[in-house]
Amino acid sequence: MLKQLNYDNLLQLLETISTDYALQVPTLLADGTRLLANYGSGELSLTGPPLQRKPTSAFFPQTELLLTIDVEGQVHLPQPEKPVALFGLDRTDLAALTFLDRFFCAPPADDIYQRKRDRALIISLTGSAGPERSFLPLTEDNCDIEMSAVNGQYLALGHSELGQGFLDGFADGDPQQLEDLRRESAQQVSPAELLQQASRLLSEERVPDRFWKEIADKCILCSGCNLACPTCSCFGVQDRQSGHGTERSRVWDSCQLDAFMREASGHNPLGSEQLRTRRRIHHKLVADVERWGELGCVACGRCDRACPVGIGMLAVAEEIVRRFN
Amino acid sequence: MNATLTTCPYCGTGCNFYLLTNAHGKLRGIEPAGHHPTSRGQLCIKGWNAHAFVDHPERLTAPQIRTNGALQTSDWATALDLVHSRLTSLAEQHGQDSLMFLSSAKVSNEENYLLMKLARAGYRTNNIDHCARLCHSSTVTGLVETLGSGAMTNSLSCFDETELIFVIGSNTTEQHPLIGSRILQAVRRGAKLIVADSRKIRLAKHADQHLRHQNGSDVALLNGMMQQILQDGLEASDFINDRCENLAALKTSLAAYSPEYVAKITGILPEQLVTAARLFASVNKAMIIYAMGITQHSHGVDNVRAVSNLALLTGNLGRPGTGVNPLRGQNNVQGACDMGALPNVYSGYQKVSDPETREKFSTAWGVRLPETPGLMSTHAIEAAAAGRVRGMLILGENPLLSDANQALVEKALRNLEFLAVIDIFPTETAQLADVILPAACYAERDGSYTSTERRVQRGRKAVDPPGLALPDWQIICQLLRRCGLQADYAAPSEVMKEIAALTPIYGGIAYPRLEPNGLQWPCPSSDHPGTPILHSAGCTRGKGLFSPVAYRPAKELPDAAYPLFLNTGRSYFHWHTGSMTRRSHLLDREERAAFVEINPEDAQKLGIIERQLVRISSRRGAIRCRAQLTDKVPPGQVFIPFHFAEGAANALTNNALDPEAGIPEFKVCAVRVEPC
Repeated sequence: MLKQLNYDNLLQLLETISTDYALQVPTLLADGTRLLANYGSGELSLTGPPLQRKPTSAFFPQTELLLTIDVEGQVHLPQPEKPVALFGLDRTDLAALTFLDRFFCAPPADDIYQRKRDRALIISLTGSAGPERSFLPLTEDNCDIEMSAVNGQYLALGHSELGQGFLDGFADGDPQQLEDLRRESAQQVSPAELLQQASRLLSEERVPDRFWKEIADKCILCSGCNLACPTCSCFGVQDRQSGHGTERSRVWDSCQLDAFMREASGHNPLGSEQLRTRRRIHHKLVADVERWGELGCVACGRCDRACPVGIGMLAVAEEIVRRFN
Repeated sequence: MNATLTTCPYCGTGCNFYLLTNAHGKLRGIEPAGHHPTSRGQLCIKGWNAHAFVDHPERLTAPQIRTNGALQTSDWATALDLVHSRLTSLAEQHGQDSLMFLSSAKVSNEENYLLMKLARAGYRTNNIDHCARLCHSSTVTGLVETLGSGAMTNSLSCFDETELIFVIGSNTTEQHPLIGSRILQAVRRGAKLIVADSRKIRLAKHADQHLRHQNGSDVALLNGMMQQILQDGLEASDFINDRCENLAALKTSLAAYSPEYVAKITGILPEQLVTAARLFASVNKAMIIYAMGITQHSHGVDNVRAVSNLALLTGNLGRPGTGVNPLRGQNNVQGACDMGALPNVYSGYQKVSDPETREKFSTAWGVRLPETPGLMSTHAIEAAAAGRVRGMLILGENPLLSDANQALVEKALRNLEFLAVIDIFPTETAQLADVILPAACYAERDGSYTSTERRVQRGRKAVDPPGLALPDWQIICQLLRRCGLQADYAAPSEVMKEIAALTPIYGGIAYPRLEPNGLQWPCPSSDHPGTPILHSAGCTRGKGLFSPVAYRPAKELPDAAYPLFLNTGRSYFHWHTGSMTRRSHLLDREERAAFVEINPEDAQKLGIIERQLVRISSRRGAIRCRAQLTDKVPPGQVFIPFHFAEGAANALTNNALDPEAGIPEFKVCAVRVEPC
């Protein structure tokens, strides 16, 4: 089902969705930051740089209440919230969502994640939606509606029954136009090529230890690379006791931190910054490939933007390829 | 998800981030502000975790009054009436100066201003101070004398164009991480880096030169560099002739500081000194960065003078990429000073002793104001221990852990006839209070904060305070009213209007103008764009003053009984007395307990192994904590962070004070370490 929406139709669609969903849309904030925020809470931003906050945080937030245990010892799960609808994901966002879905929903499934994910509505936004209306390659799957900006209009392809339901009643789109966009998408050069090269060099053990020391010496341990990464799935568990009982939450964790793997004895199998830095890159470019058959990095560039010292994934991969290829 | 832009509550860098709240209005995360000139989409680990303590179950949620020795929950009116009546009766019986007010570098400009007003106009005493006394009072005293303004002269953007950065006494990547990262970026684009620090800090790994001079020998090091520069004829003669005074006296004072003489005092090699001096003087634009390693000494003001002398001698002032750049430690320690939470000045550093200034504030506030400057906080602690200060109101500070010589501080606080504490958590100091008033934290109130680069910027409310807790400004307003003063501000923006009217350097500051990225003072009028670089046409005082200083050793040096230097400071993961970071899951997990860094050579001599429990004692106290063997500290020195109540570094530190700034010698005292 391919439809064509003008700007007013798009607003109408968002308005409809927002009645039953906690809808988050690309929003331009006070200082120019662009991220997904509540529909109606700020300026809707339909073109611009990638969304700063990883959209996967809607399903795996930085802090999430898992359960409470009251003073009687009874366990209570959080009340179910309005289902989530996300609008504005690009190709890398969806790739990351696919990656996280596989991680959290593979048996035994993480029910907290899955409950939210199963009820969610996902709408991508590509085409002329990049900075200054530059072209973003199309997304294809793992969304309910694939939306592409073209010539001031929006082509909307319903992938799921849920998505198609929301598109009922809008004018039909031109399949040739979609075909043209797909062709243009196929011609885009992906930074994944660089990552593949770095992955190969790492697998072949061409990167010496001194390289990791050099990179680690620059790291100021901000943990931003992990926290910004849409495929990072590590979390710590926090228990807080009060007069009302105990609240158990999970919070994003970072493998760059010493205590990430430190044992109670003080022994740490990843006991140096050098080892931890190597692990961060190696895990995504080698270990994930061995486990899932694909890179654990979707080349979204968020860690490179969040890193205060320029040792994000793409920067390190580039350095590896430059020096060891 | 809703996003509220605000200023980070930790260090003075001034990063901005968004507080993210969920559908229930609960704080669930942090996202760095992507286009803010300081944060630029990046944060340090404390910034990324700045939401974590806000909803901690130990937050104070109701006023408490000590009754029969135990703290009991109360209501606001009763608690505030009690605070007012006790402070008033002590003032009536023993004089206004028997009271002391401690303000906070963690609260907003408006709150600091109001507390300053409460002390001076409400209770008629200039006895108001705050923790800048413990960190940069040396800077304020020293730089006001030499340049006319006690703040960072340049802006953070200057790192992008400087040719050389000289970091002395600042562990920048740990204590101002986003500034530290700018230094690393500068190095990567080719800027030179000199690091002077006894510890092997991260920046040292990237330095062209690392000078591991002994703690407390900064004057000798800096004088030695200047003497070498003069000897080589590398001083900036034109700049000195046009813009400075007192060079002859400086020259005379430096004559003795040959590389060999300096080497004996500092422990660095003569040739290292010569190389550093020549490197520093070889560039056109050099920034000097310093922090507690310079200021926290019994000769802290002299250290600052020496830093200033070096900048003037080489013409590194008033231009982009240069400057004397003290890094302020707390998110609003600059603002707390600017607002006059100091015993000798009103807001904008207007002197209490100046009759015209006093008249101006007196007219504005409608009361006669006290004439004599008040007590510094460190002197107030001594006075309380001696029974001369009897009542104290502490806003958001925890002196029992943060001040030097804990035994003295405890004696002082217990000796008070009345102690009221306004805070967000039941701190060690609050446990001693007669009345505790629960405050809103940074995420729960509006206000403005001034960063280390003099950038005045907004803090914004994202969530409601817990229970009955109130924003500090509202609590102070309640007390102002009880003192018979008008305090009908509808919002902090109205307080800022009053500040702007009375404070020339903030004259053009108004909330609408702070959107989105703030303004740098001085900003004297509503059409002034702010001042990124101070002293550009001339120094604030006119000519830059060379202020000669001579090396004086620290008050207490190692000896046979206490053979090791103790150095104290902060670690990367924790903040000051830990009230916030030890209640933030990831930060607490990273460093859960007190520790002492000890060089493996010393450890071997003492028979101490990694993680072993050790006893550390000084002439003032003893603590136990675990040993961390590391060559980060040189042989002969141990380092202990002061965050941990159960192994309080300040039980050991020496409260020997700088005679002018009243700052304690946190960076040097003598200790003994023994296996437990």
